[in-house]
Amino acid sequence: MPRKASLGADLVIPVLALGFAVYFFWSIADLGWEAKANGVLIGTVLVVLIAIQLARMGNQLAQGTGDLRADPLWLPRDVLGKRVGMVVIAVAFIAVLEWLGLTLSLLLVMGLALWTMGVRKPGAIAGVSFAVAAAAYLLFIAVLDSAFPHGPVEQLLARLFH
Amino acid sequence: MSWEFLAGQFAAQFGLWWLIVPGILLGIVVGILPGFSPQNTLIMLLPLTLALPVDQAFAFMVSLYCANHLAGGIPAILVRIPGSGGAAATTLDGYPMTQKGQAQQALVLSFVASVAGGLITTLTTLALLPWLSQIGLYLRSVEMVVVMLFGLTLIAVIAARDTLKALIAGFFGLLIGVIGTDHIYNAPRATFGFLELYDGVPLVAALIGLFAISEALVMIEEKMIVADEGRARAMRASWADTLEGLRISLRKWWHIVWTSFIGLFIGIVPGAGASIAAFVAYQQSQLWSKHPERYGTGIPEGVIAPEAANNGVTSGTLVPMMALGVPGGTTAAVMMIVLQYHGMVMGPRLFQTDPGLAYGVFVAMAVAYIFMVFTILPLARYMARIVLIETTYLAPIIILVTIVAAFSERQYLFDMGLALVFGVIGYIAHKTNYHVTAMLIGIILGPLFEQYLVRSLRLSEGDIMILFSSTIGNVLWGLLVLSLVLPPARAYLKRLRTANA
Repeated sequence: MPRKASLGADLVIPVLALGFAVYFFWSIADLGWEAKANGVLIGTVLVVLIAIQLARMGNQLAQGTGDLRADPLWLPRDVLGKRVGMVVIAVAFIAVLEWLGLTLSLLLVMGLALWTMGVRKPGAIAGVSFAVAAAAYLLFIAVLDSAFPHGPVEQLLARLFH
Repeated sequence: MSWEFLAGQFAAQFGLWWLIVPGILLGIVVGILPGFSPQNTLIMLLPLTLALPVDQAFAFMVSLYCANHLAGGIPAILVRIPGSGGAAATTLDGYPMTQKGQAQQALVLSFVASVAGGLITTLTTLALLPWLSQIGLYLRSVEMVVVMLFGLTLIAVIAARDTLKALIAGFFGLLIGVIGTDHIYNAPRATFGFLELYDGVPLVAALIGLFAISEALVMIEEKMIVADEGRARAMRASWADTLEGLRISLRKWWHIVWTSFIGLFIGIVPGAGASIAAFVAYQQSQLWSKHPERYGTGIPEGVIAPEAANNGVTSGTLVPMMALGVPGGTTAAVMMIVLQYHGMVMGPRLFQTDPGLAYGVFVAMAVAYIFMVFTILPLARYMARIVLIETTYLAPIIILVTIVAAFSERQYLFDMGLALVFGVIGYIAHKTNYHVTAMLIGIILGPLFEQYLVRSLRLSEGDIMILFSSTIGNVLWGLLVLSLVLPPARAYLKRLRTANA
């Protein structure tokens, strides 16, 4: 017996797009036609396309060839922890960047990310983390003087070299 | 312009190798990183370029600029992460070549197409500069609406494989592209209350999220990004693979020539850029191909077309700046700052008052491309080895480094978070076969399309018939209709022939 299509996963993008389209229409309700024309045209086509997709999915559900499972988003389960871990670490990186500065925060989260991914050799974790953080410091802070938040490492190195 | 003058210019530019080579190397490094556009880098390096004599400053700037355009294709091919919007179309066939263990050949194809495309269009620009500068005057908003539609038809091309999902992704991208203030009243639309979105969705954050972060989240399912067979082939990689890439490139020389001219013509139009050029070139390459169904599976033409066009843009962008005094893009605007700082006045008079500088800019570009052959081609063999790195190392590096790069375009922490949001959307799109490339095409072209459409409609006070009011525009409309009708017509005839056989 053929495996049923996981329509729950297929629904996520259309639902997101539909929600955004509704919000878009609401946000432009009071604007002049020049500000609306393009968005209304695109949004209307998008809503029609989503309606066709939903009708297609409804048909699959009615015929029993699909169900509302969303497992393609979670499978394979053995890497789900790593995947969620990487997103959480990325959020944490953005959160601590302002306090720790680019170099130190990148060094710490890179080490944590490698460990989350299953790397257990301390030398490899330390080496890769240091190399990435040092390269980021050299390129973004030392050479290009980007406006990244400065933390203890940047301040210390600035005192040493200026 | 005599041959002696030209020879003198070339000799002078070759003498500036000590600036051209560092410019190329820096351009490659920042080109590989999504987020570092040439204009950002040049702005940061203004203290250096303003301190240099103007000819030396220009040699450095154009080298960095051209190398940056070339390097965007490297991560696009190796890890499906375009270094810039202009390289997004390269992922369509470049990455499948990598997955087949042909990363080295794909890189060589990309380098040769970029260098040859850039060189051919630069030499053409040198020879035809007065005439080329007129193109920008003929292609106005009305004609540009049709050029944008050429790019948008690529969504339909991608849609041929999964129509409804690709169209939803493409139109979702187009609607995301409309976020921000409108072009007439500056009224905010769908900004979720974030001031950071008033200028629209930053392209770099979208690019990084949809391609880099989502790809990294997907790649952790496997130990390596290439399958066993591809890995074995990558491990056996030798100079012979570089030579094979060169041989394929030489066989496709005509493909490089005509797609690079698409880049040149689009580059001349102020406001248009490498992204639209690369998408249009890919779409046209597929349209006129004898085997359009093979596009997207990893074929050389799918790498050559966007890369040649992407680099054909480089000289085109400088044409309106040098000939008319109108910068064709942000990078050209930064270059103009340097010229004005040195007291140079852009425009037709420059060719009489300082022909050495006026033509020297394009000679410097040609020389930079020649240097690039020797700088980057030998590196293809070593760059291709990135596919041998385990994803346990590759994925965290990609995610964290590209999030850092997301900051670089506008220097907002907000953009790093936005890249992550796009990463999650891109991951869901990946896993459910909604095409992220179609979404990105929408995000890139949506604002441009709106800009030209609204400008046209304002000129005609809302009369849509203005879109069919110019001869050039109508010719472009005809070609657009042909582009849309030809593929199904050819497929129908093929089916008919097969049925009769």
